[in-house]
Amino acid sequence: MKEINLEHVKQLLSALESEKYDEASDVLDLIVASRNRDLLHQVEEIADNLHETLDGFGEDAKLLQHTKQDLPDTTERLQYVIETTEQASNKTLSSAENISALLETLADSIEGASERKLLEEAKNEITEIMMAQSYQDLTGQVLNRVIMLVGSVEQSLVELIEKSGISLDEITLPEQSKEAQKAQEMKGLGPNVTQSSQKQFAQSQQDVDNLLDDLGI
Amino acid sequence: MQIDRNMNILVVDDFSTMRRIVKNLLKELGFSKFDEADDGSTAWPMIQSGKYDFIVSDWNMPQMTGIDLLRNVRKHEKLKDTPFLLITAEAKRSQILEAAEAGVDGYIVKPFTAATLNGKIQKIFERVAERKKASGR
Repeated sequence: MKEINLEHVKQLLSALESEKYDEASDVLDLIVASRNRDLLHQVEEIADNLHETLDGFGEDAKLLQHTKQDLPDTTERLQYVIETTEQASNKTLSSAENISALLETLADSIEGASERKLLEEAKNEITEIMMAQSYQDLTGQVLNRVIMLVGSVEQSLVELIEKSGISLDEITLPEQSKEAQKAQEMKGLGPNVTQSSQKQFAQSQQDVDNLLDDLGI
Repeated sequence: MQIDRNMNILVVDDFSTMRRIVKNLLKELGFSKFDEADDGSTAWPMIQSGKYDFIVSDWNMPQMTGIDLLRNVRKHEKLKDTPFLLITAEAKRSQILEAAEAGVDGYIVKPFTAATLNGKIQKIFERVAERKKASGR
């Protein structure tokens, strides 16, 4: 409320008391105008802050790196999890189906009651194994949601960065120092799952063997 | 009650693993004729051929959801009585009520057991038989 001048209010009151309505109206205009000025000032401040933040993007290499590299990378990694678990559960399902078929064949040649009971129990266990594979669907649905969320955060950041006048394509990410890279490698990088990482990784055990062969190991 | 184990069943789910699990369970329950669809949008033309006696569908699929598929079936003059079972991870009360309102015959929340599936199928076809008896009278 500090933008309201006490003197103005006193003038307004005395003008009203003496029924000088024109004067009262002028004073009221003054009060409103000073409030508006203050509001305008605040908006200007917000706009300045926004500009500074946007300008700051150029220096905030970390945010640029997250947007350009890490977020797409995250999506790719999650996609990898979906695909790998899908392959694993399909393999498990195939084996379970095969065992089921084998048990069916066995059932034809089994006669004793206790053996039949065992066979029945084995079948039930196989059903349990099959049912457990539904984890792939459930976790896959959760990961799909996270992928969507990461994608939309990435999109918003890209738009914001481009609004600040920086073109993401032209950004070159800072090279990690050799030492930092080495330290990261010694900690372990996890499975080789993204397209960019695949260029630097051995693709198969054969690749590994070839590499070591070349070194005489 | 006797269920026709030769009926044609359509299994709809965008995850191939889940389609496979459902098919295996149905096989264990004695059913043998299944087709698969990976989305409501691919299932709908298949259903319109009039081939299926029973539809087992997921809810959350990319193009057409299971609930929309169910609504399409219920709106269709010839297909509207096809028994429809939803097997889904969607478990909000409001969603279950929505499915009931759309005319679902059974609702199973993932993860589920073979016994649950068996129980639901029994119940669905008991009701189908009752409906037939009632309308035949």
